[in-house]
Parts: sequence; structure tokens; C-alpha cells
Amino acid sequence: MAHLVIPKAILDDIIAHAKELTPYECCGLLAGNNGVVTKLYRIKNIVAMEGAQNLSSFDSAKAAHLERLSPEERAEIAFVMDMQDFSTAKKDMRNNGLDLQVVYHSHPHDPARPSVTDIKIATDYEEIWPKINLPLPAYLIVSLMNAEPDAKTYWIKSGQVSLADVLIR
Amino acid sequence: MIKVRIPTPLRPLTKNQGEVDITAGSITDLVNSLEASYPGIKARLCDESGELRRFVNIYVNEEDIRFLKGKDTALKTGDEVSIVPAIAGG
Repeated sequence: MAHLVIPKAILDDIIAHAKELTPYECCGLLAGNNGVVTKLYRIKNIVAMEGAQNLSSFDSAKAAHLERLSPEERAEIAFVMDMQDFSTAKKDMRNNGLDLQVVYHSHPHDPARPSVTDIKIATDYEEIWPKINLPLPAYLIVSLMNAEPDAKTYWIKSGQVSLADVLIR
Repeated sequence: MIKVRIPTPLRPLTKNQGEVDITAGSITDLVNSLEASYPGIKARLCDESGELRRFVNIYVNEEDIRFLKGKDTALKTGDEVSIVPAIAGG
């Protein structure tokens, strides 16, 4: 896989987004061309919305776990993107000749590694990206579990996770 | 006939079929036809007022219905419809 280039200002914006929403998870999209990110789209996390956990490819154990939590607690351990926001971002990308490059989200309490749920949903989504005319993105996770935020980016393919080659500049 | 792609979380409602064929003239029609064949599916896709839920998208031939005519988007034989669950994670 070709490497990704993420401007420092955009990485700082992702971390700012994560800090604004902590202890809840944030999520968003990065777009650009040929692996070079030029734009960030913040997307609302609507996991607390009634029924969201049932249509989001969560495995049954995770969905059952989410059912037992209050809406606020759900947003501490999961995200579901608002597809209205997603559609608006996708339209803006198309109007500006940009492609999706990265899907990001935060882990307020956990390391910057894809969870089992992240891997399952990314794997389920592999067959969806072509249907909605988008390339397979990399996944960036920012962890706030330590004083210093930690951001790492991965490729997730067929259930296999590999660290992406990212240049921050 | 219109080919409808069913995402994994809804397949328990469609007897595990990933694709179903439906006759419908619009998205509203399609959702009602799906409900007639697979009871329970409509409530997963639409809220009480019939609007598409915010954690789901429907695409017609790779175009987002939110940028066509929403639930009034017309369908014709040969169209391919994809029901797309929200991107999510933990």
C-alpha cells in the first residue's frame, strides 16, 4: 500500500475533536488525492440514538453489551456515524474532486489499536465501499488513555490489520 | 425487478439472503414491499414518520437517495439498490 500523507494541522484537528468529545468517542473522515490528505470532515457520533446499535454491523455480543448501557455510556465505547453527515461530506468530496482516504475515530479509554469490533465492521465494510463509489480507506485511531494523545493508522483487509505508512508534515 | 443488496445486520430478517429481488416504483414502495416479505425490516430502516433513519443510507445505482429524491426516488426495472448501514466501531 502506498503511504499516506497527513498534514500536521489536520492531525492536530483530529486530536482537538477527540479532546472536545472525551469521554465520548469522536469520528470523522479525511479526504484528499493519491494518499495525500487535504480535508477533514467531522461526523456526528449517533450511537446513542435509539436503534443505532442494531443496524451497524456490531456483532451480537457488542450489540447486547450496548443495549445494557445508557446512551451516554454507549458513546464512551462505540461510535456510529451519522449517515446524513456522511452523505454531505461525500457530496463535498465529489464537488471538490477529492477521494476518501481515512476513517478516524477516538478511543478515550483504550489504546490506539483497532478493537475486535473495529476489525469486524471494517471487514464487513470492504464489500460496501465499491457499492457506494468510494475507495477502501485507512483507519486512524487516536487514543486519549495517556496524557499524551497517540494516533496510529492501519489498513484493515480481510480481517488482517497492518500499520499504515504515514508521513505527518 | 429491482435487485436489493441487504447488509449483514439485516440478513437475519431476509432468511440470510444478501440480495433479494423486489418489484417497486419508488423507495417508499420498495420499503413497503420488503416489509410485506420480511416483516420487521421497515422499522429498522425508517422512523415512525417514514423518514430514513440517520444510521442508514440507501443507494440507487451507486447514488445516495439523500441527493436524489429521498424516499420518493423513482425506481425502474434493472436498478440496483444497496442498503448501507452506518460506518461504526468500538
